[in-house]
Amino acid sequence: MIALTLLADPDQFKAPTPDELFQLPPIIAGVDWFTKPVLLAILSSIIVLGFLWAAFSNPKIVPRGVQNVAEFGYMFVRDQVARPFLGKDADRFMGLLLSMFFVIWVWNMMGVVPVAQFPVASHIAFPIVLAVSVYVLKLYLGFKTQGVGGYFKNMMFPPGLPKFIYVLLAPIEFLSNMIIAPFTHAVRLFANMFAGHMLIAFFSMVGFWFLFEQLSPLGAPIGVLGVLMTIIMTGFELFIMFLQAFLFAMLAAMYIGNSLHPEH
Amino acid sequence: MSEEKRRPEDDGRDFANAAWSIPSYLLSGMVFYGGAGWLLDRWLDTSAFFPIGVVLGTVLAVYLVYRKHGR
Repeated sequence: MIALTLLADPDQFKAPTPDELFQLPPIIAGVDWFTKPVLLAILSSIIVLGFLWAAFSNPKIVPRGVQNVAEFGYMFVRDQVARPFLGKDADRFMGLLLSMFFVIWVWNMMGVVPVAQFPVASHIAFPIVLAVSVYVLKLYLGFKTQGVGGYFKNMMFPPGLPKFIYVLLAPIEFLSNMIIAPFTHAVRLFANMFAGHMLIAFFSMVGFWFLFEQLSPLGAPIGVLGVLMTIIMTGFELFIMFLQAFLFAMLAAMYIGNSLHPEH
Repeated sequence: MSEEKRRPEDDGRDFANAAWSIPSYLLSGMVFYGGAGWLLDRWLDTSAFFPIGVVLGTVLAVYLVYRKHGR
């Protein structure tokens, strides 16, 4: 790596590396844990708290202003995320699902907010904490409603299969529900945000380099293309940011729902 | 969920459940039986069981998905 940087021509375009983009120094020297994503995560929590406080601390029967917007978000999470998977239990889990949806959305949106420009979930620790919380909740609810033995029995031995095949299929069920599902739950959010940030950084770097640093007749069109792609990718990322927040909350609702109502 | 309590939205739920659990099952099948094959290969000093395990795992996972959701 060092040898490569030394050999590289300073006049040549270099794509931003994950190290440059994601290994951020501490904001206050000496306080190692306090980096930009941590600051943005704290900020996001404050934003979500403030927003929901402003909306619901003094609710009106006929909603106006902020309350109107927040109720729209609430209705969306309730009708698209909670009710399809939880049915009559939806209201019990709305607090969790709504906070989760909003906080992940704000985390992700930090990637396109000027100055911030860092999607919090592109550091995998953040999605892992949420996924582990959902995982613990899923196990707890499953054990509570079906019993420890019943939970594993319903999970690993779904009815309606020939007896001998259970021996072969039970390990797949176990691995899928206990390890792969929570793993992909966290990785899906992380990988989308990581890749999206890389893409936007790459294209804006192309635009910046060829239009400002090394302006040349041949390079200028590439620079213009880079700027155009940055704009397009930012629009696309806005969509992905919303989609991933929605999917994370939806899968959480699905795991909780499956623990509460096992398949028959 | 018993048969008489089924509502139309249950179909949507079942579909989403199936759609989101299929990749997880396929991956699990490959990992488990591929892993078992890999261990067998290491133990017996062969190289045939790993690919056999991966294929077997995928086939079993597809069968599992079919039996659970495909009716």
